[in-house]
Amino acid sequence: MIEDASMNKDTNFKRYLKLDLLPTPWCPGCGNGIVLKTICQAFDELNLPKNDTVVVSGIGCAGRSAGFFDLDSVHTAHGRAIPVAEGIKYANDVLNVVVVSGDGDLLGIGGNHLLHAIRRNTNITVVCYANEIYGMTGGQVSPTTPHGTKTLTTPNGNQDQPADVQSLFKHHNCYYARTTAYHLNHMKKCIVEALKFKGFSFVEARTMCIVNYGRRLGYKNSNEMLLHYKEFYKMNDYAEELAQNEIGIIKTTVETGLKPVSRD
Amino acid sequence: MTKQLLQGNHAIALAAEVAGLKFFAGYPITPASEIIHEMVNKKHIKVLQMEDEIASINAVIGASLAGLRAMTATSGPGFSLMQESIGLAHMMEVPLVIVNVQRVGPSTGMPTLPAQGDVIQCIHGSHGDYFPIVFYPNSVSELYKYTVTAFNAAEESMSPVILLSDGYISHLYETIVPHRDFQTKKRDRQPLGAGNRHFTGLSHEDFVPKTSDVDNYRRLITRLHEKQQLTAQRYNDYEYFECSKDTDTLLISYGALSRIAYHFKDAFSLYRPIRMFPVVEEIKIIAPRYKRIIIMEMNTGQYAHEIERILHREVEFIPILGGRIDLVEIKEKIVEVKP
Repeated sequence: MIEDASMNKDTNFKRYLKLDLLPTPWCPGCGNGIVLKTICQAFDELNLPKNDTVVVSGIGCAGRSAGFFDLDSVHTAHGRAIPVAEGIKYANDVLNVVVVSGDGDLLGIGGNHLLHAIRRNTNITVVCYANEIYGMTGGQVSPTTPHGTKTLTTPNGNQDQPADVQSLFKHHNCYYARTTAYHLNHMKKCIVEALKFKGFSFVEARTMCIVNYGRRLGYKNSNEMLLHYKEFYKMNDYAEELAQNEIGIIKTTVETGLKPVSRD
Repeated sequence: MTKQLLQGNHAIALAAEVAGLKFFAGYPITPASEIIHEMVNKKHIKVLQMEDEIASINAVIGASLAGLRAMTATSGPGFSLMQESIGLAHMMEVPLVIVNVQRVGPSTGMPTLPAQGDVIQCIHGSHGDYFPIVFYPNSVSELYKYTVTAFNAAEESMSPVILLSDGYISHLYETIVPHRDFQTKKRDRQPLGAGNRHFTGLSHEDFVPKTSDVDNYRRLITRLHEKQQLTAQRYNDYEYFECSKDTDTLLISYGALSRIAYHFKDAFSLYRPIRMFPVVEEIKIIAPRYKRIIIMEMNTGQYAHEIERILHREVEFIPILGGRIDLVEIKEKIVEVKP
């Protein structure tokens, strides 16, 4: 339903935002706004009814985005967005439930819930703002920080391997996509398909944090980080597996006979 | 109305169904597991066994926001895991019921033995200030009654209400008459999907986060506190036996232990709080009639400190630790604490 006839197709997505609350609390050069806007554009493309859509978020920079949606939203405790979203979905199957949160929230403190949401194949969509860092707390190593990267808590370089998120989705009838803040159309496509998917869908949206991450790695501005995404990532949709430098959509079509369970 | 022989935990499940429970999420734990076992057989209740107690309470929060009457049940270790989200539910004003069937702690302790060690955790377990309503019945029929009461209090206060039990009364079998004619309050707040509200654990005003507005935070906490007090006042539940003989002693106990306290009703007056928190004000009127106040509880003095704080006087204290309730031992201890 188009609420303001004067809006044209390009700005229609704004109906999903509380514009009066802008600006967001994010730093200049942050990529979160790009993801927030793209989610709204995906909502707009599918014409999601505002009254049947709920956004749930955890804690962190990305977690604050829930408050900017002009629909019912829940800003939960750190790491707990997925179980709250599952509770909402199982309580009222009609609602489109979308989780927006960061990589630290979803893969770190909330990692166990992700593991089990995949296993339950709950019909919700998760958009993960993966910026490779805990930005809100100043720039500590996060579950997606690459090996060897210096952060506040890894002054000698990250000793650990980053989480291989797509591997969690193997052998489950779920949806996984990786995309970046540079590939806007691709990100929108990933989110639109995720929203359409019947079952658990997860979009890992690579986004940049210049102030507490990129700046310390030698990037002069966030545009340089975007250009890095452009150079580094190659598109490979509907592959069986994505290489480290690939973005794309993976839909597991293995017929296991399992379907999203309705728990009535 | 027919009589039924029920276990305490079964009575909780039955009462929850009568109170209109529609969603239950939990994780197996001794001695509370019988509650989820009962729930899965109830037709109109959606039951999820989650990956842990943290997920359980968060799913319950989600379901409650989506408009369903929801609850979870656990024991001490699970209750500890839930604490953060209990604070969240208070901040977001989400009505739900948490049953805590207490066992001996700390840590894994002695899982099959009863204790009362989570009394203070109920009100101070989460960070920050919040003011939960806590009930602690002492029989199967009371577990039934106060499960319904807990749901009503949750809906009235729009907050999580805690129903305490212990391994003893939850595993006790008693004959009860399960009434079904309870009035349950309808919620005013619309379920999720009815507007553009933003429920947040941040300090907020009218669904908008206010992260550095001190005055707003003070107004918010005052409002939440007053709301809890106001609801609690409707449930000033306690039990007071005035001794027929002349006595200068008041024996305070609650939960499983209060059942054994009835043996002393010819020697002392007895007092049993049922609404544990906020502490029932009537104790301030009753206590001054007695020179001695003895508190008996299955911990190292959690409620005794609370009573001392409320009454501004010292009380004598008998800890009954490790889950063993032995009348001979208690009699000896009561002699020992005499001045």
